[in-house]
Amino acid sequence: MKLLIVEDELALKESLIEYLSASGYLCESAANFNEAVEKIELYDYDCIVLDIMLPGGSGLQILQYLKDNKKTDGVIIVSAKNALEDKIKGIELGADDYLTKPFHLSELSVRIAAIIRRKQFNGQSFIEHDFFYIDTIAKTVKVNNKILDLTQKEYQLLLFFIINKNRVLSKNAIAQHLWGDDMDYTDNYDFLYTHIKNLRKKIINAGGDDCIKSMYREGYKMMLS
Amino acid sequence: MKLFTKYNRISIAATIFTFVLGSIAFYFVLDYVLTRQLKETLRSEQFEIIHFVEEHHTLPEIQNTRHQWITVEKSTTILAKPLFKNAETFNPGENELESVKQLAFTIDVAGQHFLITVNKSKGETEDLLKLIILVTVGMIALILLFNFIINRKLVNRIWQPFYTTIDHIKTYHISNRQPLQLSNEPIEELNLLNESLNTMTQSIHQDYQALKSFTENASHEMQTPLAVIRSKTEMLLQENISEEAIKQIIGIEDGIQKLSRLHQSLLLLTKIENTQFTFNENVEMSELLSQKIEEKKELFESKHLTIEKNIQPFITLQFHQQLAEILINNLLSNTIRYTPENGIVTIELDEEKLMVRNTATENSLDVEKIFQRFYKAQQNQEGTGLGLAIVKEIGRIAGFQVQYLFHNQHHIFTIYFKQ
Repeated sequence: MKLLIVEDELALKESLIEYLSASGYLCESAANFNEAVEKIELYDYDCIVLDIMLPGGSGLQILQYLKDNKKTDGVIIVSAKNALEDKIKGIELGADDYLTKPFHLSELSVRIAAIIRRKQFNGQSFIEHDFFYIDTIAKTVKVNNKILDLTQKEYQLLLFFIINKNRVLSKNAIAQHLWGDDMDYTDNYDFLYTHIKNLRKKIINAGGDDCIKSMYREGYKMMLS
Repeated sequence: MKLFTKYNRISIAATIFTFVLGSIAFYFVLDYVLTRQLKETLRSEQFEIIHFVEEHHTLPEIQNTRHQWITVEKSTTILAKPLFKNAETFNPGENELESVKQLAFTIDVAGQHFLITVNKSKGETEDLLKLIILVTVGMIALILLFNFIINRKLVNRIWQPFYTTIDHIKTYHISNRQPLQLSNEPIEELNLLNESLNTMTQSIHQDYQALKSFTENASHEMQTPLAVIRSKTEMLLQENISEEAIKQIIGIEDGIQKLSRLHQSLLLLTKIENTQFTFNENVEMSELLSQKIEEKKELFESKHLTIEKNIQPFITLQFHQQLAEILINNLLSNTIRYTPENGIVTIELDEEKLMVRNTATENSLDVEKIFQRFYKAQQNQEGTGLGLAIVKEIGRIAGFQVQYLFHNQHHIFTIYFKQ
């Protein structure tokens, strides 16, 4: 899987490349408008991580270019602007998703995975990992061929863990993934612990390993090979 | 009291005073002139008599009229000079007592002294006085009448541009996209007022715009460094680090989260103020509200809150989808945050209003301040302090009335859709 990361903030670009490379993506990067256009002209990417405000031009122009040239690269916009118009304009111009800075790398990773799944046609809506078998269209999970009876939130949680496997995910990142931006209860994570506990129990009961590891209740990590 | 009423009162008092004073002066002047004339008549009568006596050495035959009569009596004393005086005497012609001007003099007719008194009635002078009083009263009455008519018919018309200006000022809100544009008026003072207001709002507007774009830019500019910090802490978490280090990093994470949320809320507020929203979407409020409550189910449960719903189905508003979501979200989040554990939350929706009521342990919140930015009843609370300010602001631009009440140990937030 090949990604292009278009971001002018060097430190952020570094983190993005490091995190996404470790997730198994082949990452290329561009720090300004011209560099990005150059790369897009030359190569096809599975997904482009696109900053809107770039030196030398706007990310929206790049979207327009992709559209005009009938390129099918997936695009996720990452922008400091939470402006609705930008979001709508971006989606209209063919972007697949929109993430507002500051985002969690784990969240970006999950969104990229979702875009890539959508872009690929044949059969790739399945995720297989160790004893997990997930059908992302039917939204069903099997552990050792046994169907797990998961709530919607538990399903989301599991997917989030699997895509960010072997990573420590902070409770903030998890809560925000599940409940979105209006989840602002930094003082109370009980409901999160409950969900994780239930998911864990269901996996173990289905014969799976106890693969969700708590990091002193500040974060969680799914240990998979 | 209106300025013009005040002015009018002073003006009328001054006019009446002037009139009374003028009339008094007029009376005295006239009185003086008439008295002189009276004396003149009396004197000429005296001369005629003297003249007659000198020529004929006998008293003339006396011709009395109704207003003038002469009395003659023998006298032993001689007046050194003719004597004028005012007196009340019997008028034989009218057969009544009358106020008169008298001229008394003595004359020597063939060795015999006579005291002759010429009386002239002052009736005419009194008539004059009456006339003057009548005219004065009449004039005052006329002045009052005209003033009343002018007040009624004219003043309101003359002041109309002033009230138009006042109406404009009343409806002016700093977040309106336009400064005031008041018209030119033919009246100098009103024109001055309008021009000054135009200039003032123009400069206020510019300052405000500058401040707003500063807020917006500052918030935007801070998102990128925040993104860097967040990504770095996330990378740090992946290192093989101690429990203590993990806790520190999560602490940083929390800070970033708050800062980011604060910025987003500030930006949202600025955006609501800056953007001309059109309320042309049919928002299914009942559905949206139920959906939002469902989304937050875990949050309600985590604090063991009981939800009592009374949501009428199919309530639709001419509104803005995203703003409606924010509005409901903020109200619900606020309720979840501030309702004490095991509390009861009542949510009602009907055609007129959306009401959220929750049990409270503390007393009423400060009604004046509750919708202000960064107002927190207690300083250690976790929210941004912007949630309700956003609710209020959305209400303002949508024309909803947002109300807070404290009743029977319950906080009640109500949004009335129609004002």
